[in-house]
Amino acid sequence: MMLPYLITIPLFGAFALPIVSLAGRKARELWAILVSALTLGVATEVFRTVWKSGEVMVYTLGAESPLGQGVDFPIRIVWEVDLLGAIVALMIAFIAFVAILYSTEYMRHDTGLEKYYALILLLEVGMLGIAITGDLFNFYVFLEIMSIASYALVAFRNDTWEGIEAGIKYMFAGSLASAFILLGIALLYGQYGTLTMAYLAKQIAANPTFTAKVALGLIAGGLLFKSGAVPVHMWLADAHPAAPSSISAMLSGLVIKIGGTYALARLAFSVYGMGINLRTLGWIIIFFACLTLIVGNAMAIVQTDMKRLFAFSSVGQIGYILLGIGIGLAAYGSDVGEVALAGAIYHTVNHALMKALLFLVAGAVIHQLGTKNLNELSGIARKMPVTSFAFLVGAAAIIGLPPLNGFASKWLIYESSALFNPFLAAIAVIGTAFCTAAYIRVLFTFFGRPSEKVMNAKEPGKAMLVPMMILVLAIILMGLFPWAISEKVMIPAAKMLENVGTYVSAVLGGA
Amino acid sequence: MNVLYATLGFIAVYAYVSFASLLWGGIDRKLVARMQRRMGPPLLQPFYDFLKLVGKESIIPRNANKFFELAPVLALATSIALLAYTPLGFEPLFGTKGDVILFIYLLTLIGFLRVLGAVSSGSPYAQIGAQREMIILVSREAPMMLGLFTVLWRLNEFGVTKPFSMGTFYEHNIWELGTPLSFIGTLILLFVFLVWLASEIEVGYFDIPEAETELAEGTMAEYSGRHLALFELANAIKAFVSASLVVAIFLPWGISPYLGLSGTEGMIVDLLFHTLKVFAVLFVSMSVFRAVTGRLRITQAVNLFWTRLLPASIVGALLLAIDAMGVIA
Repeated sequence: MMLPYLITIPLFGAFALPIVSLAGRKARELWAILVSALTLGVATEVFRTVWKSGEVMVYTLGAESPLGQGVDFPIRIVWEVDLLGAIVALMIAFIAFVAILYSTEYMRHDTGLEKYYALILLLEVGMLGIAITGDLFNFYVFLEIMSIASYALVAFRNDTWEGIEAGIKYMFAGSLASAFILLGIALLYGQYGTLTMAYLAKQIAANPTFTAKVALGLIAGGLLFKSGAVPVHMWLADAHPAAPSSISAMLSGLVIKIGGTYALARLAFSVYGMGINLRTLGWIIIFFACLTLIVGNAMAIVQTDMKRLFAFSSVGQIGYILLGIGIGLAAYGSDVGEVALAGAIYHTVNHALMKALLFLVAGAVIHQLGTKNLNELSGIARKMPVTSFAFLVGAAAIIGLPPLNGFASKWLIYESSALFNPFLAAIAVIGTAFCTAAYIRVLFTFFGRPSEKVMNAKEPGKAMLVPMMILVLAIILMGLFPWAISEKVMIPAAKMLENVGTYVSAVLGGA
Repeated sequence: MNVLYATLGFIAVYAYVSFASLLWGGIDRKLVARMQRRMGPPLLQPFYDFLKLVGKESIIPRNANKFFELAPVLALATSIALLAYTPLGFEPLFGTKGDVILFIYLLTLIGFLRVLGAVSSGSPYAQIGAQREMIILVSREAPMMLGLFTVLWRLNEFGVTKPFSMGTFYEHNIWELGTPLSFIGTLILLFVFLVWLASEIEVGYFDIPEAETELAEGTMAEYSGRHLALFELANAIKAFVSASLVVAIFLPWGISPYLGLSGTEGMIVDLLFHTLKVFAVLFVSMSVFRAVTGRLRITQAVNLFWTRLLPASIVGALLLAIDAMGVIA
């Protein structure tokens, strides 16, 4: 059972880091890389186990069985990993590893790096915890670990005005959202007297009350904030440009999905899946998804700041994921719903890869040129061909061009939304058109006539190029076998998520 | 084994289409010259041009980046890949259901690679040409896609084996519907496609991105030597492929059944017949159009696409759709 190590290794790594960094900069960097690499190994193993067996992996903290002695309900914290959780955990560990590798060179000019690496490992712990937990309060704790680490990391460069400004904005609004989530959890506990997701699902199914719906509203509202859905996306557009680029890559690639869409899907399917009218919930999510798609992508076109553009594009892509989840809920139990859900899961992974790549590219540009204003960046391709190539791949993947991975996931979402309701497919296509326009604009800037400023630029070092190339490779490889991945991994993951019964009985053992 | 044969066939098709498309270039120049009472170059002039360009030194501008040299290669590669999905009198070699989207994508990608190559040159002339090409690219595909998808959707009611693939045109064609409404709709779409074809190969009204007299060759301003040769070949193939699409939709009949031929001989005869039809379509859309019309301004061209051609395409598609509903018998 490798599951506990998924948390203990990075947690130990983070706590040991202040001591390790007494031995100097090299030791600190090596330690961070080693810890994240080990975590990646464990995540791979967990994913392999769950994928091979096709069963939900359950781990109880402190005892053999989650059930209390002599009672038939769970009293302990359980960790519960289905295929979706395993995919997400693998994705987190991979992107975190790449981002840490990248940081070693990217963050070299900053001070206070022992705190930086400790925080980035804590961020990883928080996200992994959300991915694997089966307990609602435990989920909240991990959500806060993740959120607080990301507040601190957004404001990490506290000698810049924008870091502090974005950090405060993110923290104030984010704390409010977390409070909503906590309030929702408190309501649920008051009503049903349990915090275990599986047992709660059973209780809600047996006795769906108004309180449960209020709690769902509160929690879903908080989670939509964390995912950057449209009425509450404003923090994201500030936080991503202000954070160091390795952190932007993790924020945009992971945090908004783990703390947002993944948690929303987990809550909607695994906790409320049997208790409420999923069709209504689905349409509510679809409504926000459409708003997010249009506003996010449209706002991306008008940006002149490269990282802000990527941040708005992240908002737009979250719209696709939410659309997939929404259709998966609204068309629950049908083939269309399953395909939409698989598309959403697939797009989550794909977008994590490509947005991480794009932010790493942005980081390389900022690191080498000191500006992220697109008007000053004309003709980078002349002096930084590898970085520009990485950007080309990332942009083509995010638009969804066939030989790359973005195509298959977007296709699944288009196809299912067209079958579900052609109007939604039209909105999705409009969103993609905006997205294409935004990225082609950047592409023209990159490939155009070199400006004065650019002429002195050169490629960043290996520690920054290698992570980018790893991601490029992953994008291309995943793009070559899209239908195999979709058939073998994403569809089973969607099926497992839809099948609430197994999720519940994995903990309660048929009780 | 099957894959091997398909690959060999693919190479043969590529060789043939390169030859035929360059040959058409010569015929076209001869025809246009005759229309203006000139002698014109010899029929094989494009081959001499191509060989000469290949032999010349290729000059890379100082401000150009890596993609400047890569773009022509990728453009030619894309146009070759496109041949695998092009109907050439018989079903495309690697055709499968839904390959229409791939076809449109690759066709658009060639234009996009031209744009990217031009932008990469760092020359302001090429930049302006690239912007124009991009605008035209965005404008011209909408009417074509609408028409193409409508026709393919109507063909589905015949019960085709691979829906939305290029091969369906050889199982059934749109004229078989036979109703007056569908006939009118199809004629409107034929007009739309002929104009689209002219804009795809950028002649007559739509010679805007290259605009020799105005922009000094626009997108191709900085290309020389073998890089230009690659682009020229890619463009010739693209013209052939675009015309093949029009031929496949509107004139898909083969002659091999009448001659009692099948198998490889049948394919070759159909390919030759298809080439004739392509030349005929190109004669209308390219040679005549080029000889009798001048260039439009970019704003006029965009207007033409969105206020004339797209509505025409919508009307044609609606007529076909109303026909499918059977409201008017």
